[in-house]
Amino acid sequence: MNQAPVFAVVGHPNKGKSSIVATLSQNDAIAIALEPGTTRRSHAYPLQVDGQVLYTLVDTPGFQRPRRVLEWLEAHSVSASDRAATVAAFVTQHHGNSQFSDECELLAPLIEGAGIIYVVDGSVPYSPQHEAEMTILRWTGRPSLALINSIGDEDYGDTWQAALGQFFQVVRKFDAVRAPFEQHLSLLRAFGQLEPAWEKPLETATGFLDRQRQQRRQHAATLIAQTLQQMMGYRHSRSLAEDLAASASSQNKDAFASELRKNWYQHQRQREQQLRGDIQQLYQHGQLQRQEAELEWQSEHDLFSEDSRQLWGVNKGYLVGAGFGAGAVGGVGIDALTLGASFGTGALIGGIIGAAGSYFYGDRLPLPTLKIGPLRNGVKTASFGPVPDTQFGYVVLSRALNHWWHVSHRNHAGRAPLALGTTDSHWLEGLSKQDRNILHRALEKTRKGKVADPSDQHKLVRSITHAMKAYNEWQLKST
Amino acid sequence: MTKTSITKQPLRLLMDFDAQIQRDGQQASDFIHRRDRKFALNCEEHNSPSDPAHWLAWLGRFDNSREQFAGAGQSTEQRWQRINSGFIALGAVLGIITMAGLLFYDGGQRINVTVIIGFVALQLLLALLTSLQSVMGWQPWRPLLNRFVPAPGPALQPLQPALMARAAQGGGLSFAVTALLTLLAMVVIQDLAFGWSTTLNTAASGYHQLTSALATPWAWLWPSAVPDQALVEATRFFRAGTNTLLTPARWGQWWPFISMLWLVWVVLPRLLLRLHASALVHLRARTLLLRHPGLNALRERMATPVLDTGAGHNDANDLPDTRHNTLLQPLPEKAHLLSWAGAGTVTDKQTLPSVLAAICPGPALNVGGLASLSQDQQAIVQLAVNSDAVTALMLVSSWEPPTGELLDFLTSARQSWPAGSRVCLMPLAAETREPSNTATDRQLQPWLRFAERCPPGFVTVGDITISTGLSHS
Repeated sequence: MNQAPVFAVVGHPNKGKSSIVATLSQNDAIAIALEPGTTRRSHAYPLQVDGQVLYTLVDTPGFQRPRRVLEWLEAHSVSASDRAATVAAFVTQHHGNSQFSDECELLAPLIEGAGIIYVVDGSVPYSPQHEAEMTILRWTGRPSLALINSIGDEDYGDTWQAALGQFFQVVRKFDAVRAPFEQHLSLLRAFGQLEPAWEKPLETATGFLDRQRQQRRQHAATLIAQTLQQMMGYRHSRSLAEDLAASASSQNKDAFASELRKNWYQHQRQREQQLRGDIQQLYQHGQLQRQEAELEWQSEHDLFSEDSRQLWGVNKGYLVGAGFGAGAVGGVGIDALTLGASFGTGALIGGIIGAAGSYFYGDRLPLPTLKIGPLRNGVKTASFGPVPDTQFGYVVLSRALNHWWHVSHRNHAGRAPLALGTTDSHWLEGLSKQDRNILHRALEKTRKGKVADPSDQHKLVRSITHAMKAYNEWQLKST
Repeated sequence: MTKTSITKQPLRLLMDFDAQIQRDGQQASDFIHRRDRKFALNCEEHNSPSDPAHWLAWLGRFDNSREQFAGAGQSTEQRWQRINSGFIALGAVLGIITMAGLLFYDGGQRINVTVIIGFVALQLLLALLTSLQSVMGWQPWRPLLNRFVPAPGPALQPLQPALMARAAQGGGLSFAVTALLTLLAMVVIQDLAFGWSTTLNTAASGYHQLTSALATPWAWLWPSAVPDQALVEATRFFRAGTNTLLTPARWGQWWPFISMLWLVWVVLPRLLLRLHASALVHLRARTLLLRHPGLNALRERMATPVLDTGAGHNDANDLPDTRHNTLLQPLPEKAHLLSWAGAGTVTDKQTLPSVLAAICPGPALNVGGLASLSQDQQAIVQLAVNSDAVTALMLVSSWEPPTGELLDFLTSARQSWPAGSRVCLMPLAAETREPSNTATDRQLQPWLRFAERCPPGFVTVGDITISTGLSHS
């Protein structure tokens, strides 16, 4: 069996080599900094499928003394045919030499057969001063591809492209922080073009990565659906102390109600945060939670704030429309039972009931009221929730989709805090009527405390998957 | 894998499977994917089935304690076993009491066969209703049940009516059997006087037809258990009158019919419906297992290869120390001009700040970059011709970080130049931003840290704004 291809990501210091590797290996725990010398040793990042390596990316330190290396190579080479061997001899000769430790680290994978991914920063001017390192790379005789990364805002990409074309087989532009997922796959396929034997493993690998992305979306939809149902149906209960139950003091009861409400809110926030963590984990953004800005975002757009509601809620008109649709779906059941003898009356009645219910509940975001249950086994139980408003579900769903979208579109080279933006129109417009009805029905059902059966859950997950698609299109349109 | 763990009853299998799925909910999704994919690959390798039973056995292969592995599945089953036993015990007691009540005979009135037939009909109706509600999925007793058994998850909820029907039919069967035994015991130890009575104007022939119809199932087997016309005619009684002409033994001749009536129309239906309930539980358990959302997810995990993108490595905290104590210094008043790696001429948009012309009157010496190492050395030698300390202003491109080669050059210069020599680095921006043309603060930081790593006092980073009194960009 052929050995899996290895690609050494090399270049001048601080040009984004680690960022490229972080994005392609979906690893947000690779040290990235605007400081030269952040990467001091090579590190391999193999892509494995069921334990079988399909390709390996090697992150390397940058060139520190290319002219000195080139001088050594030229001094020890007799003809063009011995260049690759001379590079290997250089590594052997200088192994353990601190002066050339970075060069040895970056050249070692190349003499072992790795392909060259040469990274430059397209946001700074091209300079022929880098030609020494490009010449060294050419001496290795390995297949090569140049990547024009963009660290800053300026664009010198075209100049770089023209210059790099003289040294490298393939030249591609790739923004490690902002490139969409499709470009990741396209780049990996380009790696496969460097040598015929590499094409198949890279094609297989991109196929797996693509499928993984689809599965993640599906999994994210399931996580959101579960959270939505749990949050909509959550009831916080506590046994009432005897003295409090007996006490007529409204002040005491208010304090008790306030505590219950607080605990209810806290639980809902925790549940939402758990979803955030799960989604981030799913997309391998394990470091994201440590960003300070996320906490700031949380406090600014609190789940229950009026701002949140205005931003993420849906208007009364929508709720009436969606409610009518959802009710009508239920009403159709009546028609089915009467084998159509009701001539659609069931759908009409269901629609009217659904619309009325939605209008009643959808107009406001009332707090879930406190309920004190009857005396049972000598104990009275007070409960808070579930939320008596479908609007709450839409707020949770929209926030979850917004977070999911940003996380799923975030490259692992990104180190900036996750900034969740606001909106001025609604993504729901892109969702089909059928999906809106399913969504609304599921929210209503959970709000009423009914347990969703597997078939309902499946439908809800499917609707949320469609909502993700609609949200994605809406986001791409609005950005 | 133990054989017993694989050949589980469908109900137990479903409960164990559901319990395992619930437990998996607390595990990291990556882990369960790896685990289940490995199981699938193992099955493929050994050509063994990959059904839920084998999966559970695979998961439990390291557990010495089977009880611990059985977990919630076993406890739910035990809870239902307790419910079943409770129903059976209650049914047994009620069966004895009920039959004793039905056969209560104090020597006065006869035991009315019509009442017994009515009671049998009621039992049959109740048994059928119990099964019907389980088939239809009705759960009128659910609130009561919830007091004893915690509400199951959505995947197991459709099983509740069937389980409840099985328990109820078990109780009913126990009731029927103990009642029959009580009847037989009463027949043996007492002289029972049966008769039939009704207010309706029914002829004995009509009643005989009814009893014959009821006795049809056993008529071929035990003909004497079918009351004949004469017995029916003879044993009618009226509470208002007396029938003393009949031989007392004649009243007792109904007992074979009553026994068979109870056996065939109460015990047997209960037995059949109990078997049906058990079969229904098994069938539903099997169906629910196949429809279990966890099974689809499991199959998906088993079929999906585990993709490891190399995200395991973590050196996020292994960042270089970016602190420094070096400050920007004013440019020297007079200095030799050096250009490192073409700095100052890299782009067409880049021109040297005009103030440099006064500081460095001579042409710039190109070092680094395209210059060879010997040219670097020549420049060092050229500036060291006099014994005076050398002051050099070195232009560098701010966006290119300082490299080992620059450090080598400066180290070599320090060794070659007289004591007191110094080099002032001046990082330039990519585009001329007159009058300062210096880099941004962020670009300057690596240069300040570089200066700190150089021999003390030899290298500084110059700021044109300090020299000219301009404010920094």
